[in-house]
Amino acid sequence: MRTDLSRGAPVRATDLSAKDWPQLPKPPRQVFKWVATTIIAAIVLWSFIGLDAKWSRLLDAPADLYTLGRLMFSQMEASEIRPLIGKMWESISIAWMGTLIAAIFAVPLSFFAAENLVGRPVAWIIRQVLNLLRAIPEIIIALAFIPVFGLTPMAGVLAIGVGSIGTLGKLFYEIIEGIERGPIEATDAVGASRSQRLRWGVLPQVTPELTSFILYRFEVNIRASAILGVLGVGGIGTDLTQAIRFKEWGTAGLALIIVVVGTIAVDTVSGLVRRRIVRGPGASSDGGSFEAHEAELIAESVND
Amino acid sequence: MTSGPVGVASPESRVDGAARLPKKPGPTPFTIVTTLGAVVMTVVTARAVGFSFEGLIENLTRPNSVVEGLLNPDFSQIWSERSRAAFIETLQLAVLGTVAGASVALPLALWSTRVGNPNTFLRSIVRIFNNIVRAIPDLLWALIFVSAVGIGALSGLLALFFFSLAVTTKLTSDVLDGIDPGPVEAANASGAGLTQMLRTAVVPQILPSYSSFVLYNFELNLRSSAVIGLVGAGGIGERIEFFRSRGEWEEMWGLVVMFFLVVMIIEAFSVTLRRRLV
Repeated sequence: MRTDLSRGAPVRATDLSAKDWPQLPKPPRQVFKWVATTIIAAIVLWSFIGLDAKWSRLLDAPADLYTLGRLMFSQMEASEIRPLIGKMWESISIAWMGTLIAAIFAVPLSFFAAENLVGRPVAWIIRQVLNLLRAIPEIIIALAFIPVFGLTPMAGVLAIGVGSIGTLGKLFYEIIEGIERGPIEATDAVGASRSQRLRWGVLPQVTPELTSFILYRFEVNIRASAILGVLGVGGIGTDLTQAIRFKEWGTAGLALIIVVVGTIAVDTVSGLVRRRIVRGPGASSDGGSFEAHEAELIAESVND
Repeated sequence: MTSGPVGVASPESRVDGAARLPKKPGPTPFTIVTTLGAVVMTVVTARAVGFSFEGLIENLTRPNSVVEGLLNPDFSQIWSERSRAAFIETLQLAVLGTVAGASVALPLALWSTRVGNPNTFLRSIVRIFNNIVRAIPDLLWALIFVSAVGIGALSGLLALFFFSLAVTTKLTSDVLDGIDPGPVEAANASGAGLTQMLRTAVVPQILPSYSSFVLYNFELNLRSSAVIGLVGAGGIGERIEFFRSRGEWEEMWGLVVMFFLVVMIIEAFSVTLRRRLV
């Protein structure tokens, strides 16, 4: 029936022959795909031609990297391990305190950014604040705090704290907007005040996920605080930068190893706690799901 | 709460229903341990970073030239020859770093999962490699390459390449864990080789998420490319560092504000594109 109709219809300008198309659905979004591909290709080409990189050096890069690696990993001294681990701990401390400060501000802010709790205009304004904070990297924020606090870990703590409010707040209000309506209606029905509604209708639903996102952010912030050390606010990054600047390759190599091992170690512990929080006891130790959830959030992430 | 007369609906009054309500469970050992752990961690780390409320308030309330600079930023810098060149270099670094990183990330992600790499030994090697790359942040990559390859945009590009590699590989391999096994079985049943199977049964499934991760990665790279310049890896960061080292806060904030305005505009485009992809 459909076949007959289609044969009778005027030939349409598709890349599929008239005989094929009754069986095959029309491929969607072709125009969009081609336009996007062309634009992206043009941008890449422009960047490649325009970038004033010394491409000839790229060929030497593996050899240079090998030389550097040999210098770094052949002159390590065991006596330096202990002080460097202390410095890594300082980086972890900066990350923890920063994350805590961020969480203290992000939780209330996210309540005011969730459209199912407050009016749209309020939510919109708070979201713009969160977006602005999210857009600026910690290290730039640190540039502002260093003259205030001097080259102390507190500058790093505040940089990480302020820098994480945006991301945490955004993740939080997305979680809050996904909660069940029922408990809120129930609290309303028994005449709860606004704060009671938050306490009994909202918080119990979101606490596990909120906690696990705070922990996740802590993992991210360990990397950030190692980075901030480059500016001299303390932590292992400071030692690493100093070592590289003064060409003490052995120390630099050791510091690098400690950063990698320390980061992976904290990730592992924190990841286990997170999975236990979200899934409850007896969940399999196989990773994936939480990160997949985060990946999903990223993939769907909407910027308004 | 007041223990009022029977029948008053205070949340605390459970006189009537008490017999039928199950007992409220106490905190689990896990909750107790993690809460204690968090408290101890907070106390210990607060001491390690020298945290004090007095110091915090004193330092934050003192007037300072940096904040004054932030309040009257000087936007004219962006039109100067050198700053504009650095600005463009930053954008180009972000684009090339993303493209290079993303094109290596797809095979790496495939090789790190069971479906794309049946060999357990090789798979764990790829995974260890991915984890190490992921543990090193963008600025550390920049430091490494600046000392290995030298100051300039090439070091920045290499740093962004590894950073993108880490991000996109991780996100993509997480999606790979959750794909529908049906098409894979179908491809295997019809006698496809590993590459053919991946090409026809796996990649089409993850392509939308992969593309959106690449765009997301591009947004991250835009911000990173402003930062890696602080250690001499090219881009606008070099100009930011220049003004910072001279204490010219108005100029520095002018550049920073302009740059992140542009980043937010580009990001808005990228997010629109991503929304269409998924």
